[in-house]
Amino acid sequence: MSSRLRAIWPPILIAVIFLGIWQVFVVAKDIKPYLLPAPSLIFSNFFGSLNLMLATSIYTATTALLGLLFGTVIGLLLALLAQRFIVVNHLFTPLAAGLAAVPIVALTPILNNMFDISSRTPRVLVTMIIVFFPIFVNVTRGLVQVQPVQLELMRSMNAQPRTVLRLLRIPNAIPFFFTAMKIAAPLAVIAALVSEYFGGPQLGLGSRIASSAANTAYGRAWAYVVSSIIVGLLFYLAVLAAERWAAPWTGRARSA
Amino acid sequence: MSDSSHVGVTTQAPTAPKRPASTVGRRARRGLVSFLWALGGVALTILMWELVKWLGSVMTLPFDTSDSAMPHVWTMLAGFTQPEVRGSDTTVFQAVVSATLYSLLVAMGGFIIGVSVGLLLAIVMQRFAFMERGLLPFVIASQTVPLIALAPLITGLGNKISIGSFQWGTTQSVMFIAAYLAFFPLSVGALRGLKAPTSTALELMRSYAATPRQTLWKLRFPASIPYLIPAMKVSAAAAVVGTVVAEISTGVRGGIGRLIVEYAREATSQPAKVYVAVFGAIVLGLLAAGLVTLLDVYLTRNLPKERQA
Amino acid sequence: MTASAPTTHAAVHAAGVWKIFNEGLANEVTALQDVSVEVADGEFISLIGPSGCGKSTLLRCIADLTHATRGDIKVAGLSAADAREQQKYGMAFQQAALFDWRTVRRNVELPLELQGWDKAKRGERAMELLEMVQLADFADHRPWELSGGMQQRVAIARSLAVDPPLLLMDEPFGALDEMTRERMQNELLRIRKETGKSIIFVTHSIPEAVYLSDRVVVMSPRPGRITDVVPINLGERNEDTREAEVFFAGVTAVREALRGHTSGGGVRARVGEV
Repeated sequence: MSSRLRAIWPPILIAVIFLGIWQVFVVAKDIKPYLLPAPSLIFSNFFGSLNLMLATSIYTATTALLGLLFGTVIGLLLALLAQRFIVVNHLFTPLAAGLAAVPIVALTPILNNMFDISSRTPRVLVTMIIVFFPIFVNVTRGLVQVQPVQLELMRSMNAQPRTVLRLLRIPNAIPFFFTAMKIAAPLAVIAALVSEYFGGPQLGLGSRIASSAANTAYGRAWAYVVSSIIVGLLFYLAVLAAERWAAPWTGRARSA
Repeated sequence: MSDSSHVGVTTQAPTAPKRPASTVGRRARRGLVSFLWALGGVALTILMWELVKWLGSVMTLPFDTSDSAMPHVWTMLAGFTQPEVRGSDTTVFQAVVSATLYSLLVAMGGFIIGVSVGLLLAIVMQRFAFMERGLLPFVIASQTVPLIALAPLITGLGNKISIGSFQWGTTQSVMFIAAYLAFFPLSVGALRGLKAPTSTALELMRSYAATPRQTLWKLRFPASIPYLIPAMKVSAAAAVVGTVVAEISTGVRGGIGRLIVEYAREATSQPAKVYVAVFGAIVLGLLAAGLVTLLDVYLTRNLPKERQA
Repeated sequence: MTASAPTTHAAVHAAGVWKIFNEGLANEVTALQDVSVEVADGEFISLIGPSGCGKSTLLRCIADLTHATRGDIKVAGLSAADAREQQKYGMAFQQAALFDWRTVRRNVELPLELQGWDKAKRGERAMELLEMVQLADFADHRPWELSGGMQQRVAIARSLAVDPPLLLMDEPFGALDEMTRERMQNELLRIRKETGKSIIFVTHSIPEAVYLSDRVVVMSPRPGRITDVVPINLGERNEDTREAEVFFAGVTAVREALRGHTSGGGVRARVGEV
């Protein structure tokens, strides 16, 4: 059995078993949809309203993407500053560590008041803030934590700080960047989704899940959930692909 | 140069190396320095806030800087002592404090459950390679399910469950969601930690005819601490976020999430209240992070600096 | 104790070098105490001694990677700082310190990039150097695909890139197994013969120091200082050299020097001479 096949069949097997048990359980115990819909009901809802699923997914995905983009850019800029000016590092890193535990999404009502609630802006802003922290912390670490022997090597070759940044620190930080992206990308999707709970345009997945649930259209609600899982997975896989292209040396045994 | 009558012997009498001091004191001092910097960051934020408000008063900015959307910092502080509801005895501050503590307990409950489940999964996955290949993709995929978004559904489901005299309420659903978000970082971190011992160390245990359980207790667990600690920090954060957001979307009474939503509705008439509630949520997060840090300092007090997370 | 060599323009001149860490504090350490050494043009000297004797510190002072507290250091007639800026030496460390994100060839090109060489010239020179260390076939491989010994050969090729007159080497073969080590030592001597460079080589290994050097500088710790200098004259190295009487005599001489037994001041007879 080829090694790729070997890696895939255990989870697929477990998935099939899981879905099978779920389906049988619901049918046998005659469980009402408002408790737990059968997989068959969810799939029929999903494929039955595919266009709707697509439209709502695109709406939320766009919010997530915008937040991801801006948050990443700001995170990268600040990380460069933090490596260069230790003051910035001292100011922001403990803040980032502390705020990691804070439900930043709770800021949405405040932002809704400050910005136009009928636009995407408050949600993009919240997503931006959420994305900023893992990117900033990890990229700063990647820029700062170069091996001392490599710094000595650069010094022995009379390299200036800007050159050291370009030729050593930044390439060193690339794997750290992707580690952060693997956290930030799915997080951006969830943030975009949850921020839709606080009012504003009802065009996205979060709003639809809430309203379907309120209208007891549970099959539909779970179908939206499936859509959001797909969007999250797509974001994550995109990061994996980008990593493989940009940083093929990641994950290898470190050379001496 | 040494005395030629003592071949190959140094002239200094050997002394026992000094026992390295416990690092608690040093780390406490470093923590204090970090804290002061954080205070500086907060002061800076306050300054920026007021600056932006002032800018908004002299020119048009793309967002609302009026006192109802962006109250002054001192208005926010005054909001602490406001009575919660007109004529009531409880101040906003008291209401927020009790709600924060309630949410903290729920989050801690979710954290403990999530950590236990995560640890169990990690132990199983480490012990049986098949389980790792089969379960790990799902453990990872579980995090793409926006359970927070499912909160209303989970609550509906949960409310139907009753075992004996115990009725599953909305609070339990919130705790479940917190646990769900907390278990993943921990199981990934714990798995990595349990697999961390070098092959040399494992061969040593094998040479002692140690059982897998003994190897687990005496080698793998201690070796995994530097991996567990950062994982616990992430788990605690996830538990807090899960708790607050689940509270927000289910509107369950008692927690800080509901207060945020309630006060947000009153934002136009009483802008300060929602800020006080959000501060409460922030403090909640910081408390959780602080508790885990205390645990961290205690568990790694005698490890050398390089091995501390 | 001074270690002076005969003749001309010195590749490295160190006089009265002191290095004190945490001067004035409770944990003050004298890493180097009044160290003086002259390396003649084209000479190969080893610095050997137990941990803490200051050999790596001395090397780093010469390389301007750290500053001497007191004393005068001249490399090719220039101050250490100027020598570094003008790239008058190449350095190899115990870790190869190759960049994972560059191919082998581009790793060797690194010093040339920093000196502003254009792309074509760099590539040419890099291949030249890789030929010299017999790794030309691996030019487009990644560092992690190479064994430890091969990585060190790439590091040595890199240190030769700007063709500096001096090589500073800090236990470059320390992490390698004995057989690879002996092969690398022969490689190094061959490169030296082809290029005529001066080399300062820090090592823990007595046989290595004796095999490679013209002179072995013996140091001792607390405080770090030079205690002896053993001249070596093995002549042309071949596969029998390591089993020759003359070699063992040299090893013994260095070992005794490390233990502190010398035949009392003055210039020692060169090992191998009557």
